[in-house]
Amino acid sequence: MKISLGIFLTLSAAALLPAQTPATPKLHASAIQIELVDVGDVSIPAEFRYAIYERLIEQVRDSRKFEKVFRSGDKAAASVPDLVTLHTSVEAFTEGSEMKRELAPVVVGSTKVDVTAQVTGKDGKTLLTEKVAGKVRIFGENLGATNDLAKRITKLLVASF
Amino acid sequence: MKPNVLLAILMGVGAALAQQPDQPPNVRHVIGLDKIKRNANGHLTIQNGVMQFTAKKTEARVPASSIEDIFVGSETTQGGGTAGRVVKTAAIAAPFGTGKALTLLMRTKVDILTVVYRGADGGVHGVILALPKGLAETTRTQLVAAGAHTSAPQPELKDRTKP
Repeated sequence: MKISLGIFLTLSAAALLPAQTPATPKLHASAIQIELVDVGDVSIPAEFRYAIYERLIEQVRDSRKFEKVFRSGDKAAASVPDLVTLHTSVEAFTEGSEMKRELAPVVVGSTKVDVTAQVTGKDGKTLLTEKVAGKVRIFGENLGATNDLAKRITKLLVASF
Repeated sequence: MKPNVLLAILMGVGAALAQQPDQPPNVRHVIGLDKIKRNANGHLTIQNGVMQFTAKKTEARVPASSIEDIFVGSETTQGGGTAGRVVKTAAIAAPFGTGKALTLLMRTKVDILTVVYRGADGGVHGVILALPKGLAETTRTQLVAAGAHTSAPQPELKDRTKP
């Protein structure tokens, strides 16, 4: 009887404990190069393309996750042995309206940018790929979506490195 | 006698105003210039082959020859600067939807100028500036005359404003 009770308690405890998923090993790099945003065939105003790029540089630098953050084309990046590169490609873009958002919040006027963020190593091997979306739903100008997007990508990098 | 005095005063004021040097237009720095804060207001000038943005005591200079592309767009946004934002935020709490009425009244159309240039280290920079309506195209022409490079104009990006 005691043995049965013991087995029952053990099984109950195992069921109650959260399933332990194997932790994904963190990536390591001392420097990151941020490439220009690839827009492909998506129709997106130039200011959004460059705002995403500039805000990514700003946010990743502010996160202090990497010793060095290089811009696209920076010649000094080539000498860093453990350099990783962030590629961002736009999948979809919906331009809303600040006025509509303020008059009928949440219902209409949202601006949304969907991208695929990919991190590659110096050998070109993909280390990380994730779909990320940046939005501005109520207050703020349309370009605010680029700030939201940069924050989300930075959060992803901080969690992965 | 009185009309003569008034006329003289008006002429004097007119002459004084005419003698004032042309002030460069007020421009808002959205992002991209390292030394300048985001959303800082300042003046944009193009002289001696250099684009210069001055906000209070800080200035940023971009040689026109390093500019690889220039894009012009437009956007309808909220006018009134920081004061406008404060007033509108306060108005949200106002009864009978008066805040929404203010939203309609405080719209302003601006030109968005995107300047892409390469720094000394080879890195690409994208500077985004909000200019008074109608000034971006003139500024682009001035930059090209000063030595900036630009790809073909993109008319589909212009007048895409959604008020």
